[in-house]
Amino acid sequence: MNHKTDIVKAGEKNIEKTRTLETVLPSVDIFESEEEILLFADMPGVLKEDLRVNIDNGTLSLSGVRKLQPRGAARWEEFGDVEYRRNFSVPQTINVEKVYAELKDGVLKLHLPKSEAAKPRLIQINAA
Amino acid sequence: MLTRLSDINRLFNAMDFFRNRLDSLYSDADWAYPAGLKWSVEDRFPKTNLYEDGDLFEIRAELPGIAKEDLNVKIQGNYLEISGAKKSGTPEKYSIHRTERDITSFTRSFTLPADVDSEKVKATLENGILTLTLPKSEAAKPKQITIA
Repeated sequence: MNHKTDIVKAGEKNIEKTRTLETVLPSVDIFESEEEILLFADMPGVLKEDLRVNIDNGTLSLSGVRKLQPRGAARWEEFGDVEYRRNFSVPQTINVEKVYAELKDGVLKLHLPKSEAAKPRLIQINAA
Repeated sequence: MLTRLSDINRLFNAMDFFRNRLDSLYSDADWAYPAGLKWSVEDRFPKTNLYEDGDLFEIRAELPGIAKEDLNVKIQGNYLEISGAKKSGTPEKYSIHRTERDITSFTRSFTLPADVDSEKVKATLENGILTLTLPKSEAAKPKQITIA
């Protein structure tokens, strides 16, 4: 793909871009329980080494690069090498230290535990 | 003549480029937009690639989060069918914020360019990508002709 005809100058973003990799939004499911927020993202073909999960200043960014090894001649190709990229805002109540991620069958499962202060608490009422 | 999908794809590259830019607007702003809204028509599921390598064909399909047990592959002559279902739903005690990965069951069938030997087909499912190696049947294999 020739990006030189790009009419939208992306300025500083493109300075270090040496190859053009198509960027796609991974589909996500987001669930919430009392303990955590759970995020699933479809990233078929992305290996663990090529996946970055970053939380910085309230922004969660996912980036996974898929490198396929083509074989022979392509008769048809509906998917290719892509970068799955998506950003989310994470609430302050997430305990960033305890966030953990699993990658299985091309699906990223990200656990974002809530900090103790944010968990709902049942207040005991003492009889006076 | 445009015989390959990749040739056609190339024609639409400029369009894809704009579509991606528009998609990334959503991504950057992270608005609460309706699930799965994208600037493109609905893709077929699963997406597949077909490669031809001498004596064999290789089909790859994107099947994230689908278990081996939930996947069916049927082959007859040059007809191939991939079908399956996804079990996962909302985990218990969780409320839903977004569900875009809402594929529950799917079927896709293909007519391969030549007959394949269904006995020798190999299938692997790795990292959400199904790879089917389909050796061509004897009759369909390329043959070296000796000139007398």
